[in-house]
Amino acid sequence: MANSPRFEFTQGTAGYANYKWLGWGLFILLLVIVAFAFNDTGQITLLDNKYAIGLPRVTKAISFMIAILGLQVVAGFTGQLSLGQGFFFGTGAYLSSWLVADHNWAWFTSLLVVIPVCFLLGMAFGIPALRIRGLYLALVTLGLAAVFPSIVQLKVLEDQTAGAAGKLTDSDLVPPDWLPLDGAATGMQKIPLIGKFFGDGDLSGKEEQRIWTFFVMVVLAFICFKMVGNLVKSRPGRALRAVRDNETSAAVTGINLSFYKTMSFGVASALGGVGGMVYVAELGIASPGDFTQLISIFFIVGMVVGGVGTLSGAVVGGLVIAFIPAWASDTQNLPGIPERWLQGPTGPLIMGAMLIVLTFFLPGGIISGVRQIKAKFVRILPKMPALAGSTAGAGTPPPDETTVTPSDPSGDA
Amino acid sequence: MELFLARIFDGLSNGSTYALIAMALVMIFKATTLINFAQGEFAMFGGFIVWVLATQQGIPMWGAVILGMLISAVAAAGIERTLIRPFDPADHLPLVIITLGLFLMINAIAGIVWRFDPQRFPELFPSGSVFSIGNASLSWYTVFTLITVAVVAGGLTLLLNKTKIGLAFRAVSSNLESSELVGIKVGPTLQFGWAIAAAVGTLGVCVFVAAPIRQLEPSVMVSGLIFAVSAAALGGLDSLGGSIIGGLAIGLVQSIAVPYLRIPNELSLGAAVVVLMLVLLFKPSGLFGTPQVERV
Repeated sequence: MANSPRFEFTQGTAGYANYKWLGWGLFILLLVIVAFAFNDTGQITLLDNKYAIGLPRVTKAISFMIAILGLQVVAGFTGQLSLGQGFFFGTGAYLSSWLVADHNWAWFTSLLVVIPVCFLLGMAFGIPALRIRGLYLALVTLGLAAVFPSIVQLKVLEDQTAGAAGKLTDSDLVPPDWLPLDGAATGMQKIPLIGKFFGDGDLSGKEEQRIWTFFVMVVLAFICFKMVGNLVKSRPGRALRAVRDNETSAAVTGINLSFYKTMSFGVASALGGVGGMVYVAELGIASPGDFTQLISIFFIVGMVVGGVGTLSGAVVGGLVIAFIPAWASDTQNLPGIPERWLQGPTGPLIMGAMLIVLTFFLPGGIISGVRQIKAKFVRILPKMPALAGSTAGAGTPPPDETTVTPSDPSGDA
Repeated sequence: MELFLARIFDGLSNGSTYALIAMALVMIFKATTLINFAQGEFAMFGGFIVWVLATQQGIPMWGAVILGMLISAVAAAGIERTLIRPFDPADHLPLVIITLGLFLMINAIAGIVWRFDPQRFPELFPSGSVFSIGNASLSWYTVFTLITVAVVAGGLTLLLNKTKIGLAFRAVSSNLESSELVGIKVGPTLQFGWAIAAAVGTLGVCVFVAAPIRQLEPSVMVSGLIFAVSAAALGGLDSLGGSIIGGLAIGLVQSIAVPYLRIPNELSLGAAVVVLMLVLLFKPSGLFGTPQVERV
């Protein structure tokens, strides 16, 4: 198959549209299968190790994806290395759980507070970034991330944050009555051969909630990715990349450095806050130990492993940091390695090793590897620019649309 | 007054350990303008090696410290050769990512090998106090940490000013490209910087955890790195003498300003971050550093 004629699609033709639809269709099918097959914390047993692949962890991965997406904006596209994304992730988590638990807000209305607060906080911390550059900025933001757990454990805030014990929120996202989740599950169980993977019997209330939470968060994540995708394709997005590539020449061409830097910090922090909301909505508790500088470094790992400056890299990165540390600690026996070495912080060890190995061998991250493989099978030809006076080709796309890169966030094949 | 004195003594002994780690950071920054995020973890790991040598192999304490410094210097030189040198020293992002990866890995390896139980570190200095005024007593520990800092600073100054490799090191840190042109082997010279930094860091951690109130554990340097970085930035990231002043200043801020301004104790790390931020905002070159000039 490797040398078979590759598929070629020209942007703007019907074939390309079909290809895109097929990709998205398969992606949504995958989401549905994941949601219904793994809602009941699934397990794979491999070499006597039990690996959990439950839906809650996928939802957690979505929260990481949104936070890494924010990091992509500030570090990947604007080139301001921030190690403080965990601070905003934590702020979002605590703020929304405080609103939901103590003030009976709905999860999504809490975003109305989380987004502006994190945006403004991010701008405030972006102001030093105007003078602090490169590594110094990384230091300051790392300090910020390291301070967060002690801030939420302050005596003054204890009533709001519940101190070291962690803030419990027992409010769940309940699916609306009209949604036939149960019916859908029963329907899938009747599919011959593969039906048994979709469980047996009815969905419990807890399972329905999980599926609902998952899909709602997928939609939220999709909105975030779409917005960032549009941002980076637009004029401000090009300005951000100009700042990253050469600050001096960006300033010379008339780009307002301070505006774009603080703005990118604001956007990144707001996304971090949204990610925190998703995290706590899924987990039900925000505890200070979850928001140390380790999580900020993990976000960097996710960004680098996925691919710096790509949206799909954030998806891959979120999955990596949600699953690999957990699977590493699930691994309790491997042939040839004494059990003692498999206990303890094996997750961070693998994360660190991945960071180093990928920087050496695949600096573009997993996504660049996937793209190289994909390029062997599928080639997307850019749309021919319409010549003056000639008629547009088949398909007649809207004339004001400028196609830059296919930027669907989700890996479409 | 007694309390004030006690806090000054406290601050001096904390500050001198920050100064030691800060000197390690400065050694690497001077040569490569890179901040090694794994420096604290290198030092922590070295501290564990010393602990193993002293408590399990029965080597006398100071022998173990010197052996541990040698081992970590060799290890750091190896890490520099394999993981750092292949990259362009002017492009910081991959290097920072490598050091972050090292941070995660070294911390995790220490956690896997020695677990997270705090370990009692053998005494390095005589216990007891030199003199006491009321409740405030100047302990031998404080005196000896200050002496250690002075000895290390003196030793580094001699090494940099009186030896050939020290001269090469100063040349590389002043201008990397020109020193390459005059025939200095830049790679091994930087490697020398990494080795010295790791040895100084190891000594710093040993002194740090030898304090009667502290114990050795894998996370001992996680916040220590931030204090040390603030100290180095305050003194000027490329000035060895500055890092001593910076370290003592951060230690004194931590033990004097924090209680008197009624900042909760947990936020002393926050105070260090604020100092770091203010320094970088208003005097990015630090107190004694050379200002950086940007060329287009």
